[in-house]
Amino acid sequence: MIPPEVPAAPVHGQACTPGRLGRRSPTRRCRLSSGLAPQGDDTGGPAKPAPRCLLGCRPRGPWLLTHDTSVRVALLALSAGLLVTSAQAAGDTSAEFTLLWNERRVNTEGPLAAADLLSPGIAPPTPGGPRATAELRHVIRAPAGVSLHGNVLLAHERLEGRTGHDDSRINEMHAALDLGSWQLSAGKRVLGWDVGYAFRPNDIVQQEERRTLFAQTPEGRPLVMLEHFSTDTAWSLVWAQPQRWSDPIDTTRGARESALAARGYWRDGALDLHLFGRHGRHTGASIGAAAAWVATDELELHGSLRALERRDGSAFDAASPLVAASQPWRQTTLGRTGQALIGAQWSGAQRVSLLAELWYDGTALADQAWRQWSDRNVALIAASAHGAPALPVAGNLAWQAEALDTPNLQRRNVFLRSAWQDGPWQLSLDALLMPADSGRVVTTAVQWQGDRVRLNASWRHYGGPAGALAAQLPWRHTAAVAATIAF
Amino acid sequence: MKSLFVALACALPLSTFAAADVTALLKAADRYRTGDESQQVETEVTVLKRDGSTDKERRYTVFVQPQRRSLVLMRSPAEAGQKVLMLGDDFWLLLPGSQRPLRITPTQKLLGDASTGDIATMSWADDYTGTLAGEEACPGAEATRCLHLSLQAMHKAASYQRIELWLGQARHEPVAADLYVQSDKLAKQARFVVDKPGAPTRVDEMLLLDQLSTHKATRVRYVSRRPKQVPETWLNPMFLARNPAIE
Repeated sequence: MIPPEVPAAPVHGQACTPGRLGRRSPTRRCRLSSGLAPQGDDTGGPAKPAPRCLLGCRPRGPWLLTHDTSVRVALLALSAGLLVTSAQAAGDTSAEFTLLWNERRVNTEGPLAAADLLSPGIAPPTPGGPRATAELRHVIRAPAGVSLHGNVLLAHERLEGRTGHDDSRINEMHAALDLGSWQLSAGKRVLGWDVGYAFRPNDIVQQEERRTLFAQTPEGRPLVMLEHFSTDTAWSLVWAQPQRWSDPIDTTRGARESALAARGYWRDGALDLHLFGRHGRHTGASIGAAAAWVATDELELHGSLRALERRDGSAFDAASPLVAASQPWRQTTLGRTGQALIGAQWSGAQRVSLLAELWYDGTALADQAWRQWSDRNVALIAASAHGAPALPVAGNLAWQAEALDTPNLQRRNVFLRSAWQDGPWQLSLDALLMPADSGRVVTTAVQWQGDRVRLNASWRHYGGPAGALAAQLPWRHTAAVAATIAF
Repeated sequence: MKSLFVALACALPLSTFAAADVTALLKAADRYRTGDESQQVETEVTVLKRDGSTDKERRYTVFVQPQRRSLVLMRSPAEAGQKVLMLGDDFWLLLPGSQRPLRITPTQKLLGDASTGDIATMSWADDYTGTLAGEEACPGAEATRCLHLSLQAMHKAASYQRIELWLGQARHEPVAADLYVQSDKLAKQARFVVDKPGAPTRVDEMLLLDQLSTHKATRVRYVSRRPKQVPETWLNPMFLARNPAIE
């Protein structure tokens, strides 16, 4: 039985979808100011842009044109290399084709619902719909220890009420040089670190999304990496996003930040120990440690710690008026904080596995900040009731919802998961609990795995008391059904 | 009195044999499965339905190395890119696209119709000690005589805690085995198919009958074997997490 690997990739490739509780991708964050001109400004203030794309939007255009020029050139060169060498070298090819249907039920509570009530259609959440993908993987082994690795996702989706669009991307395209115990690689690749399942503080390069409904390969990061391996140790030195070293801070938030990262690994019998260090161009230093220990035949324990000098995050502009003319929630660089996780996984002979994880994420908004956020929601609705114009109030409520687009809503979290496997069937039930406001996200899933075909169905409910953040997300329920065939 | 004397006369050589030569017997039996100490084995696993038709097929490449180390590469489309690394009592699962090795427990290693342990563990001599229980008719072949060995695991993470093993009396090739998990429940029954029944040189197939849950039959076919010493880096879980180009 495979351990409960919590799906680690977007359910449909969207990075700007609050309620999925996934990592933020600054380049894909949706901005009110990018949308429609207002129909009128009855507050007497400056014209206020209304949202065309508040949540769940993405950059338009063919995938190749959305990458930086330097990355694009490098990827094209690697692609050419793949083509040239494939005729002469040994290689491995595999592929997966997936048909996926997402269904989402819009929440009637929360700031986005309130915005829609005041100004219908101002910021519709991303609807569901079908999505077809083909993930193509190819490895070419060339002479002299050189290998070329490619992983391309071709994707097309047609969301309800919208025209179909391409969502293809290159997940990986990198060259590797095998020098025995030394390994060198360069290009775009997935590089996941840390030992947790639902939260990984030390995933300092990939920063991949966790707890998604349907797992797919995440999109890798451009990097240059030098590694050394012995029997029981491993060292990695990475320069992630090297092409962004001189870019402005506002375009290099989160995983887009250019950073140097290092990882040391030691194995001592049943114990895996990791140490991590990272120096981000504008977030500075962070250090971390992680361990995984198989305590008994059935029980595995793991834990992670990370201390950050600075981090990127959302902050409310305290000088902003109640009904602001521009987004008062801004991405900025914030001060030092810490993250920690402990977890345990038990697997029984009857093909049942249980996972429990508790974590603290100091990069999430503090309780006090959420109280102010809540108070502002109430004040905005009250202002509307007292005659404030609907459109700007609705726009501000929609802006409020952007604060929900974060990897962890609350700082303290509990994750519980049980799974049972019988032959080709696997059933799972998990719950993300937020003790601060009793919010919860409950997911149930079933998978059938055949020789080539895999079927997945999952359903997620966001809930809790009326004031809970999870109960104010744009959706109340989400569901996904997928059929995958592998070659 | 006469019968007691005969019984003692029979028991004495058996117990003496058990103490001294069970390890030698196991090594002899292992040679039919492993050949060289370091080797690459291409394995095909077929799960059969109750009517004998094929339920599913899986292909694996297994690198068996000294000191109870092995690496299993999943080759079938449904599992392509997955790897299991076994270093003594320690196990990792590597999933494609994840780029991080998952520590798995000995229990997780055992689950499945033909568990990773069944496929990757090719040696009894390294993992088991035991006694010769007697000479008896071979299971499933009453006309043939077998040596019956009772084996106990020497390591906590061995695939099975107890094995009742039958070896051909003349050539010591594996014939059958009853495999017991830690709770001493019979988990699987194994039957071994050799290349030349009259003069066996290798085991070509292992037929596993699940006795715990599914009661399905699983055929493990050793398609090819060749000597192969893998680089030490291949046995480092962090190296494997890079999805290296392994042949």
